[in-house]
Amino acid sequence: MSEEVPEVVNNGPTEELGPLIKIRNARKWFPIKAGMFSPVTAHVRAVDGVDLEIKRGETVGIVGESGCGKTTLGRLVMGLIPRTEGSIEFDGIDISNMKRKELRRRLQIVFQDPGGSMNPRMSVRSIIAEPLIVNGLADGAELTKKVSQLLTIVGLKPNHMNRFPHEFSGGQKQRIALARALSLDPEFILLDEPTSALDVSVQAQVLNLLDSIQKERGLTFIFITHSLNVVNHISDRVAVMYLGKIVEIAETDELFANPAHPYTHALLSAIPQPSLEENQKQRIVLSGDVPSPANPPSGCSFHTRCPIAVEGKCDVDEPELEAIIGGHKVACHFPVEAGGSLPMLND
Amino acid sequence: MSELLEIDDLRVHFDTLEGPIEALHSVSFSVKEGQIMGVVGESGCGKSVTSLVTIGLATCDVDEGSIKFEGEELIQKTPEKTQKILSILKYSSSFFTIGLILSIFWTFLAPIQGLQASAIMLTCFSICFISARILDAPRSRHEKFMRSIRGNKISMIFQEPMTALNPLYTVEKQVAEVLKQHDRLDDAEINNAIKFGKSIISPAEMLFRLLRNDWKGVLPLITFFLFILILHQTNNASFALGLIANKYVVMIIAAAFVWLGFSTMFVERNEGARSLIKQNTMEAEGITLAIVFVGFVRMVDDFTRDKYALIVVSWLVISILLWIPFGVLMTIIFSVAILAVPPIQISNYFNLDPAHTRQVVRILKEVRIPNPEAVVKMYPHELSGGMRQRVMIAMMMACEPKLLIADEPTTALDVTIQAQILNLMKDLRDREGTAILMITHDLGVIAETCDAVTVMYAGSVVETGSLEQVLGSPRMPYTIGLLHSIPRIKEVGEERVNLPIIPGQVPDPNEKFYGCRFHPRCPFADDLCRTKPPQMQEIAPGHYAACHHTELTDNLVMAQEAFSSEEFLQSGVNVQ
Repeated sequence: MSEEVPEVVNNGPTEELGPLIKIRNARKWFPIKAGMFSPVTAHVRAVDGVDLEIKRGETVGIVGESGCGKTTLGRLVMGLIPRTEGSIEFDGIDISNMKRKELRRRLQIVFQDPGGSMNPRMSVRSIIAEPLIVNGLADGAELTKKVSQLLTIVGLKPNHMNRFPHEFSGGQKQRIALARALSLDPEFILLDEPTSALDVSVQAQVLNLLDSIQKERGLTFIFITHSLNVVNHISDRVAVMYLGKIVEIAETDELFANPAHPYTHALLSAIPQPSLEENQKQRIVLSGDVPSPANPPSGCSFHTRCPIAVEGKCDVDEPELEAIIGGHKVACHFPVEAGGSLPMLND
Repeated sequence: MSELLEIDDLRVHFDTLEGPIEALHSVSFSVKEGQIMGVVGESGCGKSVTSLVTIGLATCDVDEGSIKFEGEELIQKTPEKTQKILSILKYSSSFFTIGLILSIFWTFLAPIQGLQASAIMLTCFSICFISARILDAPRSRHEKFMRSIRGNKISMIFQEPMTALNPLYTVEKQVAEVLKQHDRLDDAEINNAIKFGKSIISPAEMLFRLLRNDWKGVLPLITFFLFILILHQTNNASFALGLIANKYVVMIIAAAFVWLGFSTMFVERNEGARSLIKQNTMEAEGITLAIVFVGFVRMVDDFTRDKYALIVVSWLVISILLWIPFGVLMTIIFSVAILAVPPIQISNYFNLDPAHTRQVVRILKEVRIPNPEAVVKMYPHELSGGMRQRVMIAMMMACEPKLLIADEPTTALDVTIQAQILNLMKDLRDREGTAILMITHDLGVIAETCDAVTVMYAGSVVETGSLEQVLGSPRMPYTIGLLHSIPRIKEVGEERVNLPIIPGQVPDPNEKFYGCRFHPRCPFADDLCRTKPPQMQEIAPGHYAACHHTELTDNLVMAQEAFSSEEFLQSGVNVQ
């Protein structure tokens, strides 16, 4: 690696200078139209009131099942879709007041499907160089030098520059996507399921790479995933989403040791672990599917599947996200105590 | 327990433009009755090809090996000589067909010679055709045998339930189709004659039902036809034409259209406009403008609340504008309506018998689908992913198969739904004694459900044994690395360390390869590994591993450390 790489050493999340990203009551409702001439009949509440603060140099994992709004939240943060309500501030400035170029220079994204996010007709060189050219940061020999540097950082060789995306495997494509995201030296990268299309042995390679890049450059990550094992490995804090809302947020160790929300409990116990001892424990199997976000249940949105829901309370009152210990916040009327367990539920 | 499925030294290749690609080299494992066998490996290592070859759906050519199901051979190879003769016969019969057509044309010019030529061509064609059928008889017999096995004794669940289910048919039809294919349907309740009679009156019945259920929805269509009918019957057609020629009427119609278009557009943007104001992103003048704009939108919104009135108006506007070309349009509409009648009748004739519907409901109940009476009438897109996979399992369990091949059954599903489906599959095994071949890349799923595990790498089996043997004391370096590289839930206060990795990736199947296929990624590789492919060695009773250096992997912790050693990772960089 050359000397031009900035010498920032990340010593974990820091609270000086205030949070990097501040999300206040963010909502995104997608309208549903009934027909050609009819007005909007309902809304899909993809993100329905999310408050989140992300510190500098921190990795926040967002987990949840499909359709819970984690990708929509990520896109709101990136400014890729306009929000319906709420405010999202990046470094103290609302992202809708930031210029498009500045926004893209400071915030970058890595998508789930690395093959789908690259133009198959562009060589790796032009894929990585495009952001640099658009922002007028480099050209000519300097550009080539910069691209080869970026390729070295993500563990590829500079002579891969003239190849095309289809000549690479999934893990290598994800490395190229990461190099493209790093090319503008952003402060923040949104990782939208970067490893779910990869095999486990390659997933480990990409996760290690992300970790080392974050340490070198002092980056802030939001890591969106549905795999709890991965989120446990990579993030400092974890937010669990259910039907467009954050139901629990805590430091990673705290969340995995003492989950307070029944949904987090079920989610944690539902992951099959690849070892013999882990599978001896009792498993909480939730009945039914995630309700439709177009017509969410009244009160607590989880009460339809919750084994400890209380009639008259959970189906009427909507719980607020409240702190229980330190930074551990949970949105539940009857949070499970530390070390407690849930009653079994048979479907 | 006896062996249900035995795969022995299977070797297959795909024919591609770049020459044959060997997809499987020496795959052998067996599944016992009532056993859940897991097949695990990364993408591109031949798990799915193995399963497709087993049920005879693969598009590759089998070079060697045998698959025995309950002692019966599932692979039938046509000798190469026969294949050559068959292809010659195929080409010559198409040649004689063209000759036959030409000689029939010739008959018009010269009847006698033409007829003679036709007779000769016909004879040659028949000889070719019949001999090809005779030569091909063993293959078609085998195909028939496979059809009786597939879905009946061996069934398969695919990864994507949406692509495996037909989006055009309801659930009941799709489940009943499997039963019908294998003669397992209950006796029908309704006589065929009654069915036929019902189907004749079905279009009228359909119209009646439509009117009764949703007369408001049909209202615009009726208005439209009444309008045309009245104009025709009262001989006012020319008057209407005159009206249209009038420029004021044209202006009114245009205004109506503009109003319609704008109202729908504004009402949809309504939400966006409101949120824009809330975000304070507009300049001061912009806000005033936006408030006026929103006020107007509210007005239109209230006015169009009764959408049926709006639809009727719009249909009238359209029909007036379509007046001139209407003679032609009317004909088209009526022809389409008349053409649509026979399909309605036929589809109603083939409607499912109530007894069969009840049978399907019973099957769906077995896989614990809530409210099966409603689900049977639904189309696949109306169901959620987990429900679709349940329907798929119901379909595959309908004929009580001996062996269920599940090709990544839960990969497309969420963890909480995955837990439900895995529980269901284990229940089915316990209740019915069905053996399951579980193909997955998730070692967690394997650990949770399976009794035995087979690990595949680059088209060959590298380790097989019981769950405890393979997961507890893996001996093949690939299995060790794979198990080690999965991120685990760490203990409280544990430092975040780098994940152990296997450097490089699965080798390209169309590259020439010598020795063990894993050697470029293996920390124990030496010259022996680079030259000689390893054979399966029995390490413990029932535990086999294909590795030259099983003595080096005896100590699991040491073997895992070998993967993280500095010198190995340095050499691994070159592999990428």
